[in-house]
Amino acid sequence: MTIDTPSVFQLAGTMYWLAFLASLGKGTRKGVTVLLLTLAVLANLAVVFLRYHQAWPMLPMHLGAVALPLCLGLLTPFAGSGQTPQGQAVRRILLALIVLLVGAALCFPKDFYLPFLKSKTLLAHGFLWFGLAGKACFTVSAAWAISGLFLFRRTPERQGLTAAMHRCHRWAALGFTLWTLSMFAGELWSYLGWGTPVVWEDPALTLTMAAWFFYACLLHLHLTRAWTLRARTVYASLGGLLLLTLTCLPDFGPFRSPF
Amino acid sequence: MQHIVSRIWHALGSINLTVGLCLLLTADLVWGYFCLERHTPLFTPLNDMGLIPWMQTYGSHNLPWTVWFFLLLALLALLAVNTFACTTNRVVHLLAAKSMVSKRRLALKLAPHIMHYGLIVILAGYLASYLCTQVLTGRTLVPGAYLSLPGTGGQVRMVAFEPDYYRGTRLGFWKDEVITARARLLLDDGTTQREAMLTCTHPVRFLGYSLHMHDFAPKSQGGMKMKTRIDLHVRKDPGVALYLAGIVLFTVGLALYLYEWIIDRETTTL
Repeated sequence: MTIDTPSVFQLAGTMYWLAFLASLGKGTRKGVTVLLLTLAVLANLAVVFLRYHQAWPMLPMHLGAVALPLCLGLLTPFAGSGQTPQGQAVRRILLALIVLLVGAALCFPKDFYLPFLKSKTLLAHGFLWFGLAGKACFTVSAAWAISGLFLFRRTPERQGLTAAMHRCHRWAALGFTLWTLSMFAGELWSYLGWGTPVVWEDPALTLTMAAWFFYACLLHLHLTRAWTLRARTVYASLGGLLLLTLTCLPDFGPFRSPF
Repeated sequence: MQHIVSRIWHALGSINLTVGLCLLLTADLVWGYFCLERHTPLFTPLNDMGLIPWMQTYGSHNLPWTVWFFLLLALLALLAVNTFACTTNRVVHLLAAKSMVSKRRLALKLAPHIMHYGLIVILAGYLASYLCTQVLTGRTLVPGAYLSLPGTGGQVRMVAFEPDYYRGTRLGFWKDEVITARARLLLDDGTTQREAMLTCTHPVRFLGYSLHMHDFAPKSQGGMKMKTRIDLHVRKDPGVALYLAGIVLFTVGLALYLYEWIIDRETTTL
């Protein structure tokens, strides 16, 4: 019996969607959200496992579109406490983003590329997974900034905004570390495989560097307090979302109806 | 005069300049993505022909699509200067006050500056690599044939091609295809000989050159039999050591910073 990965991924998407809807409710639906999220993550994990199993020991091409929702799904329970309004908002934002990402991956799949020989190295896998984990952390960071932006719109609520941005920066710092490790792994892989530090056949490398400079800037802004808190919040939220969209672009292909 | 130099130095080390440069670099690289995606063949030669020849040919003759790259070079150069000035200012202050803190504390305080210097070393390595690399493309070896390395008197001979074939069933397309292209080489520097194994992801270093497997044949066990050969890119890249050293430096700084951030800061706040 063969398992149809697009169908399993559709199932994962449906579960994420239901988990998002359940998260909009209060109190009693918390357990339902956790259950649905767990099912969604398991289905998503199965898709990633199948894609990986097929390509191993090489790297499955453009896995990011299906693996990023998984990373985000795994991070969601740790992204913020579900007891506080801020934590709840962050979880809702993350679930909404996961649903959007899964929807985009289903409508614009790029699963038709075969793996290539030069990806048969641990550095290639390190490049992929450090990058995905880093991007997921950046997304959590952006979610905290968005929650701060919308929950604390008025000046007297500055303390709440400060707390949200503190979380935002922590996640950004973690993401920056992972992203840097991913870039270094990619650089070493590039040298071993092609002899150059940068392989200019791959346009995605420019977006990787763009994200690195964007978050380097965010961390510098945080450490030096060069901008006001609200300006930094806008930068981390809207900029973070824009960078997330851009860095996901290379993993999406032409439109194909999922039905 | 000294006053002017000091002012320029401080302006170059300004954190506001860092922020501005990072924003410009982000925007420029996003622009670069769209240019690179639509005109990839314009940039592919950068891998082999070096920066100056590329700028004089592909770069300068296709400015609408390559101007972002020239801007990137200028911004990176400015960022390197800014990072150096800013970091050096802070390191000087830290070292001036070193008697007031323990060695361990000082090492942790220096962590972000080690990262910054690491970045400069990486950028310098890239520049050296793109300016000074000698690349010999299109070098093909067949079993028993020799390749001479220019200016060294060294020779490389292919002893055998020993590939592994894909035996799994998961990827139908790969059945009986080469999954590990392995070539046994004999490296002769005129006085001694040694053997080395070259694969697609494992280059061989010899007399300052690195040999990278670019392509090979035959690609599969069955089907149309092609003559055994490997295509090499032979490179002499003075920048590699520098950017690898930069990566190590940056990673050390990052590890120290994380240690301070996670362990040291937690214990001091308890």
